Amino acid sequence: MVRETADADAPSAHMEFKAAVLLGLLVLLVAATAAYLMYARGVFEATQRLVLVADEAEGVRVGTDLTFSGFPIGRVRAIELGPQGNARIVVDVPRKDAHWLRESSVFTLVRSVLGGTSLRAYSGVLTDPPLPEGAERKVLIGDTGAELQRVVTAAREVLQNLAALTAPESALGASLANLQATTERLRGPRGALGVLMGSDQDAARVATTLERTNALLARIDGVVRRADEQVFGRDGVVRDTRAAVQQLNALLADARATLQKADAVLQEVQGVAANARVATTDLGALRAEVDASLRKVQQLVDEVNRKWPFARERELKLP
Amino acid sequence: MVFATHDGALPDAGRTLLHWLAGWWRIVHLGALVLVLAASPGSYTRARRAALARHVVESTAPALPWFGVLSALLSLVVIRIVLVTAVSYGLSQYALEMMVRVLVLELIPLAAALFGALRCTMPHGADIAALRAASGEGDSIPVLRGEVLPRVLAGVFAVLMLAAVSCVLTLVLAYLSVYGFTLAGWAGYTHTVGHVFGPAVSLIFVLKIVFFSIAVTLIPIASVLDDRPRAATRMSAEMQGLVRMFIVIFLIEAASLAGNYA
Repeated sequence: MVRETADADAPSAHMEFKAAVLLGLLVLLVAATAAYLMYARGVFEATQRLVLVADEAEGVRVGTDLTFSGFPIGRVRAIELGPQGNARIVVDVPRKDAHWLRESSVFTLVRSVLGGTSLRAYSGVLTDPPLPEGAERKVLIGDTGAELQRVVTAAREVLQNLAALTAPESALGASLANLQATTERLRGPRGALGVLMGSDQDAARVATTLERTNALLARIDGVVRRADEQVFGRDGVVRDTRAAVQQLNALLADARATLQKADAVLQEVQGVAANARVATTDLGALRAEVDASLRKVQQLVDEVNRKWPFARERELKLP
Repeated sequence: MVFATHDGALPDAGRTLLHWLAGWWRIVHLGALVLVLAASPGSYTRARRAALARHVVESTAPALPWFGVLSALLSLVVIRIVLVTAVSYGLSQYALEMMVRVLVLELIPLAAALFGALRCTMPHGADIAALRAASGEGDSIPVLRGEVLPRVLAGVFAVLMLAAVSCVLTLVLAYLSVYGFTLAGWAGYTHTVGHVFGPAVSLIFVLKIVFFSIAVTLIPIASVLDDRPRAATRMSAEMQGLVRMFIVIFLIEAASLAGNYA
């Protein structure tokens, strides 16, 4: 009986151990999963609060990521209505990622057609002071849907303008009709001249003028030919002129020789003039000497006259 | 004669409705009884603890490897489909989140509940029916405490275990399928999983698995314990239990979907 109980207890203990292992495994799995999910939700991370103020927070949900360069650095914790009626988006940013946000950071809320709404942060100057705890920043909203609507509106206006341009009674239509009439007239008997002049009479007049101009040109041609003969012909002006020029050249050569002779004569005259100048200088000295001699003779005559008062003629005659 | 037929048809419909409602009430009643018994220390005497351990091991251990393999295969197929489709549409950044949502949140708990029902709790219902047929005893407290409670607890435990193991397995397979054998994607993967499992989603997920396990365990057993005459219906007790179980699973799934996405 005791042995039977012991035999019954052995498998029972074995089963209880297995059951305990299974229970432990379940508890372990659940606890590990819960811990991992808490870690994934950032429960164990120190965070700092950032409040983004937007005109409206449509599309933003609790849990939406705040991304920086494509990396999630924060998560929306709450969305509340502000005192001015604007939306306050409270974002939890882990301390380890908070250094990416600076005083000069810009925050945008972008709604794309596919993929929902995203919050993005841009920090241009990473050397600026870091964003303080609980900072409030305005969000710039970029709405792809609104942009799309604006583009559609603009496209509709363009299409309306295009429709107005291409309407049958539009200016473009009238221009095209005129162009068509013009091309038809271009293909007509008067061609481009008829198009330019407007009427067939004027075109005919222009044609007549052209014909008369042609005749005039033919006559001018004859005149020019005759003038050519008279000027450049055998007995033309040019030939005579050439002979005259040759004679003139000969005359000029003679004149040059004559001038050279005159030049020599002039040189001789210059020599004579120089001699005359020297002679003039000598004549001055001679005259001075004669003057001196005359004065001496005068003095002598005066002396004689004084000594010889009887002299009848006091006038002295020079030889 | 015609009037008589109509007069008779209306009470028949009423009786069927009452019978149907009584069946649901019986399930709720049994659930309450089992809950009270499970909370009672008298249910865990040494002998009963041994029986409970045996039922837990017999219910869970044989099913675990099979279900692990099956859920891994199912997960790999779905992961591959989602990944290839997302990449072909240029939406690979949403692939991982979609895998986690589709597989871990929705398909794996449902598959675990159905597998647990087929492999473990419906055989438990058949066992109870066989025991009742052999002993002729009703749903007295000793029977409930000695036979029903261990099977119910073992069924609940089996479903929870299958769901937990396969969910963890699927999370690992999703990581390996997307990033391969490297730790480079750990931060991004953790962030995505954390993004999916918000507080509300996690609560709904846990409640869903718990309710699934209770539903697939209690309903088959409660159906076979229903000893009232079933002349009005041609369905067997097991079939009725199966239908009721599917209705409850469907309602729980619908409620969880509404809670998560509505």
